[in-house]
Order: sequence, then C-alpha cells, then structure tokens
Amino acid sequence: MSNELNLDYSLLTPEFCLGGLAALILALDLFAPRFRKEWLPYLTAAGLVAILVLSLGWVNKESDFAGLIFIDNYTTFFRVFFIASTAVVALASAHYVQARLSNPGEYYALLVLSTIGAIYMAASRELLTAYISLELLSFCLYVLVSFSTSDRRSHEGGLKYMLLGAFASALLLYGISFIYGSSGSTFYDEIAAAYAGGTDGFELGLLMGLVLVLAGLGFKVAAVPFHMWTPDAYEGAPLPITAYLSATSKAAGFALLLRLFSGAFMPVRDDWQWMIAALAAITMVVGNLVALQQSNIKRLLAYSSIGQVGYMLMALAALSSASASALLLHLSGYVITNLAAFICIIAWYNLTDKEEIRGFRGMAERAPLLAAVLAAALFSLSGMPLFAGFFTKFILFQAVASEGFLWLAVIAVTMSFVSIYYYLMVIKEMYISEPEEPGRLQVPVLLSGLAVALVAGVFYVGIYPRHLLEVAEEATKLLFA
Amino acid sequence: MLPEIPEGVVWAILLLPIGSLLTIVLWTRPNPRLSGYVTIAAIAGAFLFSLWALDSVIASDGTALAFRSHEWLTVGDLTVNVGLRVDGLTVIMLLVVTTVSLLVQIYSQGYMAGDGGYSRYFAYMSLFTASMLGLILVDSILVLFVFWELVGLCSYLLIGFWFHKPAAVRAAMKAFLVTRLGDVGLLLAIILIWTKTGTFDIAEIQELAVVGAISVNVLTVFALGIFAGAVGKSAQFPLHVWLPDAMEGPTPVSALIHAATMVVAGVYLVARFFPVFEVAEDAQLTVAVVGGTTALLAALLAVVATDIKRVLAYSTISQLGYMMLALGLGGYVAAIFHLLTHAFFKALLFLGAGSVNHATNTFDMRRMGGLRKMMPLTHATFFVASLSLAGVFPLAGFWSKDEILSQAWTEQPLLFVVAMAVVFLTAFYMFRAIFLTFEGEYQGGEAPEEDSHGADQSRPHESPRVMVVPLLVLAVPALLIGFANVSGGVEHLLAGALPLEMRHALPEFHFNWGIALGSLALALAGIGSAWLFYGARVLSAERVRLTLRPLHTLLERKYFLDDLFEGVLVRGLLYRVGAGALSLFDSLVVDRVPNEIARGLRLSSVGLRMLQTGQVQVYGAMAFAGLLLAGGLAFLLNPL
Repeated sequence: MSNELNLDYSLLTPEFCLGGLAALILALDLFAPRFRKEWLPYLTAAGLVAILVLSLGWVNKESDFAGLIFIDNYTTFFRVFFIASTAVVALASAHYVQARLSNPGEYYALLVLSTIGAIYMAASRELLTAYISLELLSFCLYVLVSFSTSDRRSHEGGLKYMLLGAFASALLLYGISFIYGSSGSTFYDEIAAAYAGGTDGFELGLLMGLVLVLAGLGFKVAAVPFHMWTPDAYEGAPLPITAYLSATSKAAGFALLLRLFSGAFMPVRDDWQWMIAALAAITMVVGNLVALQQSNIKRLLAYSSIGQVGYMLMALAALSSASASALLLHLSGYVITNLAAFICIIAWYNLTDKEEIRGFRGMAERAPLLAAVLAAALFSLSGMPLFAGFFTKFILFQAVASEGFLWLAVIAVTMSFVSIYYYLMVIKEMYISEPEEPGRLQVPVLLSGLAVALVAGVFYVGIYPRHLLEVAEEATKLLFA
Repeated sequence: MLPEIPEGVVWAILLLPIGSLLTIVLWTRPNPRLSGYVTIAAIAGAFLFSLWALDSVIASDGTALAFRSHEWLTVGDLTVNVGLRVDGLTVIMLLVVTTVSLLVQIYSQGYMAGDGGYSRYFAYMSLFTASMLGLILVDSILVLFVFWELVGLCSYLLIGFWFHKPAAVRAAMKAFLVTRLGDVGLLLAIILIWTKTGTFDIAEIQELAVVGAISVNVLTVFALGIFAGAVGKSAQFPLHVWLPDAMEGPTPVSALIHAATMVVAGVYLVARFFPVFEVAEDAQLTVAVVGGTTALLAALLAVVATDIKRVLAYSTISQLGYMMLALGLGGYVAAIFHLLTHAFFKALLFLGAGSVNHATNTFDMRRMGGLRKMMPLTHATFFVASLSLAGVFPLAGFWSKDEILSQAWTEQPLLFVVAMAVVFLTAFYMFRAIFLTFEGEYQGGEAPEEDSHGADQSRPHESPRVMVVPLLVLAVPALLIGFANVSGGVEHLLAGALPLEMRHALPEFHFNWGIALGSLALALAGIGSAWLFYGARVLSAERVRLTLRPLHTLLERKYFLDDLFEGVLVRGLLYRVGAGALSLFDSLVVDRVPNEIARGLRLSSVGLRMLQTGQVQVYGAMAFAGLLLAGGLAFLLNPL
C-alpha cells in the first residue's frame, strides 16, 4: 500500500474478545475443575452473544486494518453470522459433549478460535491473510473432527480431512504464487488493477493461478471433484461438529470466495466464469444423485450439503451484485435450516444413539416436536414454498438465470426436484413407520427451544425475508463499488 | 345490487380458512366436533363473500376489479408483489371451490365420524381450501406457484391421511413426486419469463404476449413449461399415474381435491395464460393433442376398473383431458364451462361412492349390487350425476360437452372423432358402474374393520342425513347449471378476463343440432351397451374379455406405465443407473478398490494400518486428476 498504514487495533476488538473468551474457557477448564462440563457451553454462548452485540457497533462503518483486513458491512454481516452460528452449535453441544466427549474446555475454546478464522476469511482483502485465516479455521476443525477419542470413525475422518486439507492448502498456496507472479501483488484491489490493464503475456500464469486457487478453495467448500473428504469427515465427526462443518465452515469458504472473486478477479471474469459454472453443474448433479443412496443421516446431509454447494457456486459463476446478495440470503437460510435439522438429529441421537435413517422410525410418535421441526427443515432444504429453502433458492436461481446462465438454473431446478425424494424418505420413516421402541422421549428444554427458534427463522426467511434481504444487499454493495 | 366488493373482503375469502386452520391447531384440536364446525363456518363465510365477488364482477362485465398490488419485497431489480386479481375467471373458480368445499366439509362430518384424526382432517382441509383459494386469487405467477406447491403438499398430507396403510403412504409419495416433476417445468417457465420480461404479473405477461413484445420462441417454451406443471397437477398423460392411486385418501378428499378443485388447477392455469397459448400455437397444439390422448386413454382404463373410486378417478382424468383438448383448440369458454359443470357432478359422484362405501365397506363393485332399494337417495343422485357426466340432455354435462365438441368440429376433425369416441365410452363405463353397484343382487360387501369409520351395520342402508343432504344439494347444479351459459352468461364473464385485444376474437359459439343429436345418440348407445352387458346381461363381458385378451391385459396393467415409471425410470434409470453409477464410483473406486488393496497390504504387514492412508492417497490422486482435467480444459478452451 502506498499510503500510510492504518494500524487501528480497535477495529479488531471483537476478535480480541473472541480470543479472550477462548483463553477464559481454557483457564476455567484448567483451574476450576468444579466449574467443568456443565457451565462451559452456556458461558461460551453467553460470551459469544455479548461479542455479537459488540460487533454490531461497526454497522455502516468502513475502515481497513493495514489494507489487509477490511471492516465494512460485509465483514459485520459475517461477524454476526459466524458468531451466532457458533453460539447455536455451542448450545447444541451441551448434552452431547457432556455425555460423550472428554476435554470440553478445549472443545469450546477451539470452536471460538475457529470463529476468528472464519471471520477473517470474510474480512481479508489480501491473499496471504485470507490463507492464514483459512488455516486457522481448518486447524481447529481438524482437531474438532477427530475429537471423539472413543470412536474410530472420528479419527479416520479427522485424518482424511487433515491430509486432504493439507493437499488443498498446497494447491492454494501454489495458486497464490501464480497470481502474485502474474499480477505483482497479493492485495485484491491491486490484483484487479493489474489485470484490468490487460493480461497479455501472462495469461498462462493467470490461468494456472485461477485453476489452482479454485481447486484449493473447492476442497474447503467441498465442490465436486474435490469433495471426497466430506462424507467421511461428516460421518466421523461428533454430531455438533458435523453441524458446524456444514454451517460455518461452508459459509466461511463462500465468504472468502465472494470477496476474492469480486475484489480481485472481476476484470478477468471470462477466464474463470465457465470453470465455476462447470464446477457448479457437476457438484449439483453428483451431490444430489449420490445422496439418493445414503442410509446414514450424516452422510445423507453431507451429500445434500454438497448439492447445496453446487447451488451456491452458481451464484459465484454468475457473479453480480444481485447474485451476491442472493448468495448471502441463501447462505443464511441454508445455515438456519441446517442447524435446525442438526439440532433435531443431535437430540434424537442423545436419546436413542441412532443415526441411521432407519433409526428415525416412529420419531413422530416418540418426539413429535423434533419430528415436526426436522420435517420442516427437510422440506425447506428441498425447496418447498413458505420454508426458507424455496425463497432463497428462487432468488438465487433467478439471479443466475438473468446473468445468462439459464442452463445452470435448469440443472438446479431439476436437481432440487431429485432432492425431494431423499428428504421425503427421512420424513416417511419419521411419520409413517412404527417406532422400534414405544414411549415418549423427554427432550431437554434447551434443545427443543433452540429447534423452535430456528424453525421460526426458517419461516421468517421463507415468508418475509425483506429485512434480511436489505441487510444482505447492504453487505454486498461495497464489493462491487 | 350490492356495492362493489372492497379489497379487504376479498382478502377475507382467503384468510377465513387460514383462520380456521389456526383455530384448530391452537385451540379446538382436542374437541373434534368443534373443529368441524369452525371449518364449516369459515368456508361458509368464504362462500358468501365469493357470491358478493360474483355480483361485483357481473357488474364489471367480467373485467378485473381494480385492486392494487402490494410490494412484498425487492431484491435488486426483482420485485415480488402480492395482489389480488378478481375477474370473470376468478369468480367462477371461487364459486366452484367454495361451494364444493362447503358441501364436502358438511358431508365429512358424517363420513369421518369417529376417526381418530378428525381434527387433523379438518385442519388439513382448511389449509387446502386456503391454498386453493390463494391459487386462484393472486395476480402474480410467483405467488401462484407458492400456493400451487402448498396445494400439492396438502394433497400429499391428505392422500397419506391414514398413514398406517402402506398403500396410502406409497400413493402419497407417488402423487407428490409425480406432480413435482411437472412443477420443474412450471418453475423454469417462471424463471424464464422473468428473465425475459422482468415481471411476474399475470396481466402484464398476457398483455406483453398479445401485443407481440415477447418472441414466439420464448412464449412457446414458457407455455410448454406452464403446461408441464398443468400436466402434473391435472393428471394428464403420461403423468396421470398418480391420480388413481390417490384414491387411497378419504373419499371426501377425493371428491374435493382429486375431482373438483385441485386437479382442475392445471386447467385453470392454462386458461389463465390462454392469451399466451393463443400466440404460441405449437404449444397450444401440444395441449390439444395431450388432452385428446388423455381423454381417450383414461376412458378406456375406466372401462376395465373394478374399484368404483378408480372408475371415477379415470373418468376425472378423461374429463380433464377433455378440458385440455378444448383449451388447445381455442375453446377457452368451453373448457372453463365444462370445468364448472364437471366439478359439481363429479363431486356428487365421489360423495355417492363414499356413501356406498359407508354402507358396504368396500369400493369393489363386484362386492356390491342391488343397492338401489337399500339406498334410494344415494342411487337417485348418483344416477343424475352419471346422466350429467354422460352428457344426456338437458343435464349440465350435455351443454358443456356440446360446446367442446362443436369447438373440435370446427378446429380439428381428428380430435373431434376422439372426443366423440370418449362420449360413448363415458356413458358406457358410468352405467357399467351403476348396473354393477345398484342393480342385481347384493354381493355381501366387506366386513367392517375394527377401526373403520361408521359402517357398523350388517345390512347396508342409507347414509346419515348429514351425508345425504350434500348429495341432494349437489344434484341441483348437476341438473341445472348447464343452463348458465345458454344465454352466454358464463361466456360473457369469462371473456372479460381476457386482454382487450383478444376479447372479441373469441370464437362465436353456435349450437349445432347435428353434433348435439349425434353426441346424444352416442351417449344413449353407451348406456344401452352397458345395459346389455351388465344390466340385462344379454351379452357376456367375460367373452369379450377373452376375445380381446391382449387389449384387456394392456388396460388392466394401465398401459404398463406404472411399470415403466417405477421400474424403469425411477428404480432403473435414476436410482440404479444414475445414482448407482455415481455412488459406485464413490464407493467402489474410491472406497472399495483401495480397501481391497489395503486389505492385501494389511495381510502382508500386520500392524500397519494402511486402510486410511491408502484411501487418502486415492482421494488425493483423484483430486489431482480432476485438477489436471480442469487445467487441461482451461488451456484447451483458452487458446493462448
């Protein structure tokens, strides 16, 4: 940067607080044994909510930290988004962690730390900063996925995730070096300026860079053909971490992609648009078709989330301010819906130890509220009107179609139709099959409360998302300034 | 004369059933009788307001009442408005939906009496009525789609209402999936039209189409998309397979949803976009051909069905095909007029079948017989409705069918022949049903199940008053509503709903004595043949069946379409080949091959856990291959 660097550390206050919260959790876990387990999730959630309120102080403010980290409405949006979803995951973990995992202090501290990584992925406007943020998130996740010491699948999933993650990081770094080599900078705006002046002479380096960056980030968001770690990691991870993977980690990947492609690569749009479009098409088709054959709910949701990634990639391929805000809206709806679904699955697993789809038999009789919320969430994922999934998908498909990608929208609509089938299979088990064991189950108030709150969110986004949309538009406005 | 209906009252038509739904869910659920009353009161209110709307639209000559659209939300240049469109077409649909719904709910009190899910039933019915009213009232195709899907959801819930019956569950899934297949087309049509015109407003799209502001190619694709949705919902060939199975739901549901209202939504949609189809001639011809095919194929299926509800279901499909045929030949008025008459006599037939089932506990006509004396009122009303459906003068069905036939006569001789054949078949299968059910000796019915609803008597007798009164009330329009258009009243209302440019281009309807007498003769011939086979039993149906063995098998197996859909398309192609190949790729190549290698390695070096690393290397190699492919493509497509 030519100008004097702005080193105003107060811009980073929320993340300092998050770091402090993580340290506090670790310290409490270490020095106050009697405090252990029971109160940590609530403390974590309370701390996160306080920081969330604090970060609202940056609404409509615009500043940057040394040109590396931008604090604008986009960052604020994702700050709130990530902190809120981490808080939900922390609360959803309470019973699960207490009953099944050891070292809860590290668990919650890692959750909080990973949130910092996610936030800076959205905030970075410099390639290496973005890369380091990505690694911060990833390292926390590698540990969290393999957190269950008693479950072999957890180790296996964690190890695969880490090895392939390392592979992806290598690709990404290699790609970054090509971008640097061809543009002479790692700052998004300078890259854009360099490319805007024409790419003659370094077209090859640029293309190599784009392919490698896309492949590296494709791993992180689980786009086909870079998705192979997903089902294993989803299945192996402790359930709340599966929820976290499908929500925060995915959203963070897209937050980074959106800022990167709109900030740095817009001038060379023609070079990457078709790549992402192709990636989106394969991802939608493979994710949704393979999901048809799954018998484990975690693997089912893993493939369904891959399908969802395909829809989100479409928005990136058809990048415009309309599709960017549509993407943010869709991400919000998707994360709320997915968290609602996972909370029901976690609660059910806590009570019955079942995670096969067959194991959901008779859920409607044994836990009617959970079954209703899960059914609503699945209807939403399949894109039924009134639920979040229809509206956000419609806006997304619309935005994509009007950018000239009608064929992608056709695939997307067709694949959403296919997806109904596997969601209905789960609903059928819950509502129609006889329960394997009789008797009502007592669902903890915390989980039913969370489930109801999230499903209210699903309907809010599905019926009257006006305000959320305005916020999403506000957040993405500056990306295309 | 009443003053013109204010917008708030029209909203109330939609909100009343929503109110009854909420009341049941939040409050009266533990008290089933009260839930029933709440629903009926709400729909009665909606019915009265619909009459007011009718009065206002008559005063406005069928043109749309001036209501403003309200902005719901805006995203960039995409604006979603929510508003009402009340014109001639709307009020006719309103009248059909509220009248039939009201009578069916009253009837349901008897039919569903004692059912464990009584309150749930009325909650679903309220939701259905609200969604259906929403579908016909809104002025935006996007909001219409929302209600369209909700209606589908209600249909799913109501077909699977007795969810302890596996057949009901299968039927519900089938209905949901098959209709959604059509909806893919509809949704794409909506996305396409917005991309090209930037509006969801139905009137605006019509206007743009009529003045030629949208290219014919776009309009054709758009119209075909709309029609795909209609084919699913209105059970047109080849997506009709879900409707006969949908008969697993409670019979009043079949009467309301799968005969009189929801299944005509497709016809309504095509009629709503009639101006678009008029411009997109290829799409319009497709509508006619699909409609004609459906009418004929379904009528043939009705001839061999032994379940009385399935006969009626195929008859519904056939009649919906008739309406589509009319629309495809430009007979907009004829189609909607037939929709109107059909709704009343078909609802009456279904409710009659329900009444018969209430007494005999079966839907199998071979187990019935001789019910005329035991259930005189059910028989009389069923008989009237059958005559009306067969198109016998001067009942309702005669008039509307006649308009369709005249339209076909002037437009398409080949389809006219098909339509005439259907007239004969319709009369034949309906009277076959009547002779099997009501004449001859009683065949014993079926012993009541433990948890069955109501039928507690050993010998069949007439249903309770709460069920018979709706039958009698419905018989009135089934007899008389045909006269509504004799002086062109319906036509006048419907014409007003079209854009101004098109209003006068509508074909004039001339009563054609030749066609009227010809179709009447065919209908009577159909009735006569049915009498020869099943009434007097002079001819043996058994012998015909034996001579026409292959044809009979073809019909009995429903043209093998179910096998094709389920066996080949869903299980075979999509599931096994499509998903199987991909999943095989995932599990075999990615999982098994390395597993096998790993097992071999593990055997040779016990203690080394090669399983995970083996897999990860393959994963990595796969990703690298993908990368190389992407890179290679990048250079191929971007010549440097």
